[in-house]
Amino acid sequence: MDFSLNEEQLEFQSSARQIIESRGGLQLSRQYTEGEENVLNDLWAELGELGYFGINIPEQYGGLGMGALTLVPVLEEIGRAVLPGPYAETMAFGTPLIKAYGTPEQKQKYLSEIAVGKRKVSLALLEESIDFHPSTLQLEAQEVDSGYVITGKKLLVPNADVADTLIVPVRTGGGHGEYGISLLLVDREDTGWEIERLKNLDETRNLFNVTFNNAHISEEQLLGTKNIAWGILQEGLVYLNAALCSTMVGGIEKTVEMSTEHGNTRMQFGQPIGRFQAIKHRIVDMKLALEGSRSLSYYAAWAVENKSVEMIEAVSLAKSYTSESYVKVAGDNIQNHGGMGFTWEFDCHLFLKRARALENYLGSPNEHREKVAEQLGW
Amino acid sequence: MDFSFTLEEEKFRDELRTWLEVNLPDGWIEGTYVMPEDDATKGPFLRDWQHKLSEGGWAGISWPKEYGGRGASLIEEVIYEQEMARVKAPTVLNIIGTAMVGPTLLQIGTDKQKEQYVHKILNGEEIWCQGYSEPGAGSDLAAIQTRAVKQGENWIINGQKTWTSYAHFADRCFVLARTEDTGKKHEGITAFLVDIHQEGVETQTIRSINDKREFNEMFFDNAVVHESDVVGEVNDGWRVGLILLSHERVGVARQTFRLQKLFEELVDLTNNLKRNGKPLIQDPIVRQQLASFRAETRAILLNYYRHLTETIRNGRPGPEGSIDKLNSSELTQRILSFAVSLQGESSLLWKEDALVSASWQQAYLRAYAHTIEGGTSEIQKNIIAERILGLPKDIKY
Ligand SMILES: Cc1cc2nc3c(=O)[nH]c(=O)nc-3n(C[C@H](O)[C@H](O)[C@H](O)COP(=O)(O)OP(=O)(O)OC[C@H]3O[C@@H](n4cnc5c(N)ncnc54)[C@H](O)[C@@H]3O)c2cc1C
Repeated sequence: MDFSLNEEQLEFQSSARQIIESRGGLQLSRQYTEGEENVLNDLWAELGELGYFGINIPEQYGGLGMGALTLVPVLEEIGRAVLPGPYAETMAFGTPLIKAYGTPEQKQKYLSEIAVGKRKVSLALLEESIDFHPSTLQLEAQEVDSGYVITGKKLLVPNADVADTLIVPVRTGGGHGEYGISLLLVDREDTGWEIERLKNLDETRNLFNVTFNNAHISEEQLLGTKNIAWGILQEGLVYLNAALCSTMVGGIEKTVEMSTEHGNTRMQFGQPIGRFQAIKHRIVDMKLALEGSRSLSYYAAWAVENKSVEMIEAVSLAKSYTSESYVKVAGDNIQNHGGMGFTWEFDCHLFLKRARALENYLGSPNEHREKVAEQLGW
Repeated sequence: MDFSFTLEEEKFRDELRTWLEVNLPDGWIEGTYVMPEDDATKGPFLRDWQHKLSEGGWAGISWPKEYGGRGASLIEEVIYEQEMARVKAPTVLNIIGTAMVGPTLLQIGTDKQKEQYVHKILNGEEIWCQGYSEPGAGSDLAAIQTRAVKQGENWIINGQKTWTSYAHFADRCFVLARTEDTGKKHEGITAFLVDIHQEGVETQTIRSINDKREFNEMFFDNAVVHESDVVGEVNDGWRVGLILLSHERVGVARQTFRLQKLFEELVDLTNNLKRNGKPLIQDPIVRQQLASFRAETRAILLNYYRHLTETIRNGRPGPEGSIDKLNSSELTQRILSFAVSLQGESSLLWKEDALVSASWQQAYLRAYAHTIEGGTSEIQKNIIAERILGLPKDIKY
């Protein structure tokens, strides 16, 4: 029995932290929100060179051949710095699905490009009614000679501006149910898409409406089997949700540190405010939320890596608990900082906004709890 | 990460399971659990259980073999607590003796003390209690006022202890008393092994909110202790008192595992209770609350495993135990409160008249002790804040 990250994983964590900090840490996402979106390019390039995009990619495609657990420390670091970008979508959605369901050609192309940081992936999932029922997937892919043509819209697509490939669920078999859904790998260089940037509370994580106009996608771009990809999509969402938990843990950890430091240094009434139990105990509650979130998220990643029978339940438990904790903790962090916490200049709000963004991304806490109930046969 | 147990550890578990199946009191395996209500039968019932445990070699499993223990590893102790929680085994009457006094004497006791007390602790011949708290010294334990004055070879003790669990069944008490006034609270305290069947000690049982008798007031009126019954050095009792507390090697394992069991029972309850002809578990609000409790209980269990991994690495438990205690006692309280309120108007019925099982109402009231005994939730928060997070210390007067 051993419930901890191993040496190698901790090593990944500390070097990822060093790299991100040396390039400015939280400053990076600040600059990003102020329009300097390419400040991240150098960071991603460096991480790419050092293998951070190859962690869970097999060695034959230039990756490191490790599992979902080794992504955890990196995701946490990304969360600590509230970094923009589709790292989680690329590594925890695109990569595992292509690895499991891609054709040999797809694996060769996508995995080896992802591994060196050359290709980023996002997912274009939602349509008009913005929920997760199969009937809401109606974007039709018309079959033509040697491929498909799609015309229509996907909503709230994260990072559609920097992604090189979108994984797009479409209807190839008509109907309203789970049958008839296929996944397409849509590449910017071949097909392109139009994007419309949406005003987003979390400015570190841009969302877009994506329009496909008579986009022609070749047959080779079908991921998995035609018409029966609903299950694959769900599997990918489980992986991605697990990864989101780890990024949230990083954010929670950072807010606990911020509040602790402030509690030790901010003087009022002749003493550090951390001596007042109203503050001290609130910080402890934040710490408890952190530890619970971390344990559940580690376990979720472990369950994914080991394809445990509890995988879906473990991930949904972690997602509901961690996302609610993050919103609460990020709000408490603002309160602990007083007036300073309420300013745009100070960093507290970045965490609250990211927390709110991830809370409902790919399933609200209520939806995840309902999943838990179903998994347990309640 | 590795959540598996070794073959040897599983063998240990099997051995214990087999033993429990044969030896648990009537009704325990079937899940009916009838614990005698009145002290006159409860005392002998618990003594009997203690005796069986020690005969089977299951009373002090972490004790060294030469003293009748099994020299169990930390993991084996954890498995032991898991299995005991699984079958809701009756309380170990001499828990203070086997988990704390015994190991303390083995660590720092004199040869005479070891010879005189240790084996009687394990076989349940002498039951121990712990005399720390006083009316004026609870959370602020170092404020104790009970005094001991040297007279020839003896110490004479005067004062009052309170909230002493199981003193009404006990034979001896591990007492902290003030032996010198240096003006500093933590100095001048000494630890004594006191025979409480003597004339100068009076025990009065206190009725608890759940209408049970589990703790007591104790009055010391010129009680006598021989100098050979001082533990450690005179005036070094604060340190000795902490050593005693540090012997809970696996920390709140028991509470953590009981919480998991409690949650399973809550799910059963919502399956069995009906509203408008439908089991409560089908009510969306109940489902949401259950799933959310499930996340919390899992988080506590997994935290516990993470902390245990640390303990095994470092060879001793750290302050993280406070996280486990705080979380599990608070959540136990919330789960039980929910379980009671689910029973609607009949939730007020208890004992023989309880709607589903008397144990819900009992456990609900008992849960108010969890967040007080062994250090209140507020004190646990101070420990986490100061020792784990490094926030400024509370002002000490
Ligand atoms: C069922 C049960 C069994 C027990 N068994 C034993 C036993 O066997 N032997 C023994 O010696 N003792 C025993 N105790 C005593 C127990 O350890 C004390 O009750 C406990 O430490 C609290 O002390 P107190 O009751 O004096 O409360 P107080 O210390 O007076 O606390 C009252 C309230 O004030 C809060 N408070 C106190 N100080 C602070 C602070 N610095 N910051 C914030 N809040 C604070 C507390 O958290 C609590 O909410 C038992 C108690 C119970 C309930």
